[in-house]
Amino acid sequence: MRKTGTSRESQDRSGKESEASGGAIPEEGWPLTMDVPCAQRRVSFFKLIDTLASEIGELKQEMVETDLILKSESGSTGDPSLVQDMENIFLEKKDFKANTRDSGYDSFSPKLSVLDKLLQTHPVWLQLSLSDEEAVNILQCQPPGSFLVRKAAKLQKKFLSLRLPNESGSCLKEFAIKESSYTFSLEGSGISFADLFRLIAFYCISRDVLPFTLKLPHSISVARTEGELEDIAQLGLNFWTSPANQITTPASTAPPACHRPPSPGGALPKPHLINGLSSLRTRTPSELECGPGKGALCFINPLFLQVHSQDGGGNGAERRRQGRAGWTRPPPPPRPPPPVLSSPRLLGVFKKPGLSMPETTVGAESPERKPVPVPPPRLKKQASVSSSPVDWDGRDQSALSAGAGASCGSESGQPNRCGGGRQQQRLSDMSISTSSSDSLELERRVPLFCYEADSSFEDYEGDPESDPESMPPPLKPSKKRSSSFVLPRVVKAQLLKVSSVFTSLMTPERRMVRRVADMARDKRTYFGCLVQDYISFLLENKECHVSSTDMLQTIRQFMTQVKNYLAQSSELDPPIESLIPEDQIDMVLEKAMHKCILKPLKGHIEAMLKEFHATDGSWKQLRENLQLVRQRTPRELGVCAPTPDTLDLEKIKARFLTMQKTYSPDKKVLLLLRVCKLIYTCMEHNSGRMYGADDFLPVLTYVMAQCDMLELDIEIEYMMELLDPLLLHGEGGYYLTSAYGALSLIKNFQEEQAARLLSSEARHTLRQWHKRRTTNRTVPSVDDFQNYLRVALQEAESGCTGKTLLVRPYTTTEDVCQICAEKFKVQDPENYGLFLFIDETWQQLTEDTYPQKIKAELHSRPQPQVFHFVYRRIRSDHPGIIFIHEDGDSSSDYLP
Amino acid sequence: MGNNLIGRHTEQHTQPSIQDTGVGKSSIVCRFVQDHFDHNISPTIGASFMTKTVPCGNELHKFLIWDTAGQERFHSLAPMYYRGSAAAVIVYDITKQDSFHTLKKWVKELKEHGPENIVMAIAGNKCDLSDIREVTVKDAREYAESISAIVVETSAKNAINVEELFQGISRQIPPLNSHENGNTGTIKLAKQTSQTSRRCC
Repeated sequence: MRKTGTSRESQDRSGKESEASGGAIPEEGWPLTMDVPCAQRRVSFFKLIDTLASEIGELKQEMVETDLILKSESGSTGDPSLVQDMENIFLEKKDFKANTRDSGYDSFSPKLSVLDKLLQTHPVWLQLSLSDEEAVNILQCQPPGSFLVRKAAKLQKKFLSLRLPNESGSCLKEFAIKESSYTFSLEGSGISFADLFRLIAFYCISRDVLPFTLKLPHSISVARTEGELEDIAQLGLNFWTSPANQITTPASTAPPACHRPPSPGGALPKPHLINGLSSLRTRTPSELECGPGKGALCFINPLFLQVHSQDGGGNGAERRRQGRAGWTRPPPPPRPPPPVLSSPRLLGVFKKPGLSMPETTVGAESPERKPVPVPPPRLKKQASVSSSPVDWDGRDQSALSAGAGASCGSESGQPNRCGGGRQQQRLSDMSISTSSSDSLELERRVPLFCYEADSSFEDYEGDPESDPESMPPPLKPSKKRSSSFVLPRVVKAQLLKVSSVFTSLMTPERRMVRRVADMARDKRTYFGCLVQDYISFLLENKECHVSSTDMLQTIRQFMTQVKNYLAQSSELDPPIESLIPEDQIDMVLEKAMHKCILKPLKGHIEAMLKEFHATDGSWKQLRENLQLVRQRTPRELGVCAPTPDTLDLEKIKARFLTMQKTYSPDKKVLLLLRVCKLIYTCMEHNSGRMYGADDFLPVLTYVMAQCDMLELDIEIEYMMELLDPLLLHGEGGYYLTSAYGALSLIKNFQEEQAARLLSSEARHTLRQWHKRRTTNRTVPSVDDFQNYLRVALQEAESGCTGKTLLVRPYTTTEDVCQICAEKFKVQDPENYGLFLFIDETWQQLTEDTYPQKIKAELHSRPQPQVFHFVYRRIRSDHPGIIFIHEDGDSSSDYLP
Repeated sequence: MGNNLIGRHTEQHTQPSIQDTGVGKSSIVCRFVQDHFDHNISPTIGASFMTKTVPCGNELHKFLIWDTAGQERFHSLAPMYYRGSAAAVIVYDITKQDSFHTLKKWVKELKEHGPENIVMAIAGNKCDLSDIREVTVKDAREYAESISAIVVETSAKNAINVEELFQGISRQIPPLNSHENGNTGTIKLAKQTSQTSRRCC
């Protein structure tokens, strides 16, 4: 009790009384026995529940009841579906359940949560490019509560279109969706969510600022299996007019009242239909439903509601809000319909994809209409494993319950929240997704964790411990949050401990990065093919780049292109815009590119860079010059400020070594900034003097020479060429430039001594770099990066060897055969041909076909198929081109 | 006798000349950034690179100020620093005629190799020491006119005209789309600076 005393005392007077009545607690305070604190805790827990309950009112009491149900679950025979529904509202519950339940009940009959359903069926309701007119057409035939999410072409803003009851005058009302840097919320509401799906899921259950809750189409809400949902999702926008939507609508629910307003006061018996103003009162959880037969969905995060009522200032505000958002006020006139844009998603269904090489350059088209460059294959649902529960709620759910207590107890300063296990869970569950003042603390931490979690859990990352005073400033000064608070070191360590909790919760960003990375490994996706083909091409064709810059530039360009592709393609499912606020998308995708392209290539790139520098002799020169420069005194190098001592140099060196281990250019730059910060600290030496470039650059040169690391050359080149061009303007860009400059000075030290100037050649190189990096921001075309074709050579003796070839869209099979003959060093090319192996059959491609087009066509098929291009001997005794092949072992097919 | 270049999204490059610490370019930048310092904005790690956001009309201009080492031996690195910048501040010391000559060299270099349309501003620092001045106001003004640059005499020490210097630059930088707010404004700026820099090599 003592430990948590301050946190609980205030609400816990009865707890004290019980202490007294128990008589075990003397005035000294500290309990004499161990039992007593337990009793206290229990008492205080109940007291806490009481307190909270009275705060939240009857709603909260509902919560306690459900809580009890949950607790007694193992032995209870209570309505299991009720329990399940409650648990399933937010997917996070699932893991938790999995831990506590051993019946395996769920695995046998998985029930789908609202969130699940929304995720799976987003092609139906998430219609970002739908015009006003189309939206009206669709929704007017739907029951009230039906909704679509769209994007305003002009404002680049998403909004929710909600079907109103007919008596309300206008059939649609629109609610703008606000995107702040990490969250989505409805305008006017204090509740925000990590992504669009959670937002919609919430409003399916609670109306908040809406006149009533959202209704999923009937067939979706009654769907029991993923298969059903999948079928619905396949229909996309057509769902609304399809029989799937109409037929299954039972007569008892709202008839699609297209033209005929329902009889006034007509007894509309359907429980989920809103009939008139009476529905405007606040609903208790038990009244909230998600469709017939599903029972009450009462497990809304209670704090949402609590927070909300606080925000609104209680019931009065609630009523005001109703007045504001309800239809007591005439809805706004319908907007004039903008020019009709057809949905890219729909186009994707009908367009013969892939045959023409995709046009990516948006050019004259309005930016918000994103063309689908390559209609990607419609993935079977298992491909969306990534969006299935497991991935969705993160992996660390178990850590959640363990860590949540620590987090709220030790730092959050919200002790009264730490009631018991369940309470904690809920708290941590939601604090991330609310933006209310209550959870502000936690929310503000997000960026920090974001970074630390990234580094400490995923990739190797620097040494946060040795340099507490210099948390590096963020690369993007615009992100105020991460920089505006400094945590004491101890707290930081604690935070780090529980950060695993947060990784699972807070960053849609991380989830997105992971999803993209998963997709990049999945060759059934178009994107995965691009990335994998490119990577194998690079690995196999070492000779294809003439210089280190050439190589790095191509890689950078590839990343930019794939990034663009990904931002525009519909292959990311659900679309990235529904998970990541618009202004973050590029940054998130950039991170994902690093992970899926640079990570696998890092070793190769380094080896290649070393090779290039060894070959052209630049390393030899650098080594000699480093030696030379190290013998100079700081003074001789133009240093006029204090320099780092041996100890500091060791620290710096350690940081450079760390830098070598990470693949992300961003993180490397961050480490460079830490080094520079340390140098400044040494220079200032408590003098308070500010040093500009005149002083800093010489010291940096001195330091880099003292570190005596040839590899720094590679590191800097890596960063210079691969860093996101946008970052080159910021602080990272500046110090990177300085480091590059310092290294150039060292490399040209001898000449400099002779001429006091860099050689004209070096100057030229600098200019070239500058030019490249500042001009390559034009929108790239997809063409360049799809030009890879993986071809296997099959030989009787040696089996298969694969090579990735550069094959342009209009390269014919004849040309490809020629390339193959060269690459594979085939002596008798006339006896070889290019085959497509698909569906267990071999087809020889005729000379005038285009392998890339065939590949594109295959990729665009709805059912992904495994296929290979194989360069192999033609069976002369077998004029029929197609023959059966078994089991991947084709030796029997060969000529004797 | 330095010279500073400033960009707007913005990069400033300072390029002092041989007597590096003489002219006080770093002082000017520090003065500019640290006066009315907004503690909400993350400070940079050192004085070589500083940022400040200033309102200009309906927009917010974010200055990213790149300090350039002015010593002769670093001269060859300068192109890397002024790449992509929208403006340059070149600083001289009004008490040192030499620094004014060096300034002219920098101007020439910028004209030849710098970004197209770069806004140039000449700052005669140490105007608090005007009793020992070697460069007259008239000389400076005539020269500035000949190269159509902004000219202002400043005192970083006494905070004279520093703010004005940067406001002058802000005004000269072509306006962005007026409906942009501050945030996207800086992004725009980034793009713009990249454009302006295209020619510079």
